[in-house]
Amino acid sequence: MRSRNGNCPFILTSLAVTCTLSLAADHYYIGYRLTSKNTQPIEETLTLSKAMRPCSTQPLSNISLQRLENETLEALLERERTRFLQFAASQEFRVKSNETLTPIHIETLHTLTLPTKCYAVEFNDRSVTITLLE
Amino acid sequence: MRISAALVLLLTVPALHAGFLSSNASESQVKCVYSGTDGHCVEPILKSENELVITVVGQGVAPSVTASPAQAYALAKRAAIADGYRQIAEKVRGVHVEGQDSIKNMMLTQSSTRTSVEALVRGANVNNTTFKEGLCEVEMEIALSYSRVLQ
Repeated sequence: MRSRNGNCPFILTSLAVTCTLSLAADHYYIGYRLTSKNTQPIEETLTLSKAMRPCSTQPLSNISLQRLENETLEALLERERTRFLQFAASQEFRVKSNETLTPIHIETLHTLTLPTKCYAVEFNDRSVTITLLE
Repeated sequence: MRISAALVLLLTVPALHAGFLSSNASESQVKCVYSGTDGHCVEPILKSENELVITVVGQGVAPSVTASPAQAYALAKRAAIADGYRQIAEKVRGVHVEGQDSIKNMMLTQSSTRTSVEALVRGANVNNTTFKEGLCEVEMEIALSYSRVLQ
């Protein structure tokens, strides 16, 4: 049903968002893995790679993070890792856990993996907008 | 007249009977998902009309050597979240348990139990975080419903 103002503003906004994500933003593949042994983290890796070709431009959700002067995405994600993980965790996480119990020894090993996905990253002077793409 | 009444009766009774049987069958299909080991019917935990909320408390400890208290807190929280995800996966997906006992000369010489779980968890939330004496506890919850499961 057509609204009183028409549906043109909505279509134009969608077009603008799509064009911004496809032209202005850089696309990166980001993944994360945490391994903890006996409830202590022993290894944590955040992998980041610039996409060689643009990903799909269907945005799912986004987050804006404060950017320091001339800060790279690697440095920003290192500094704001907790906030980024909270944002990414709202989508999905893969968990793999192994426990070994003997009469004298108990060992637990958990691996939490954020599947590598494509993100559109838009750099501004004071902030960076990271958008998860479908 | 009598013949037509008898015909109606003959047609109606099997139809009602079939309807009664089919409604019983559908009810039993809804209530019983599979037979347990003892042969009894097991009802589904997740019903189509309501939402099932699972709450767990994950625990994590900071490594003994950290650069700062803030780093210790962040690392302990990550470990606690990993533990929380593991507990959610255990409750929703189930645990694979493997035990091995070695017996020599009628005596138990070695015993070990291994448990493992692997799952993709979507939509879990951290509700509350506490950090006390190096132990971080996170309360996590996940809401399960038919619409989410079928996504």
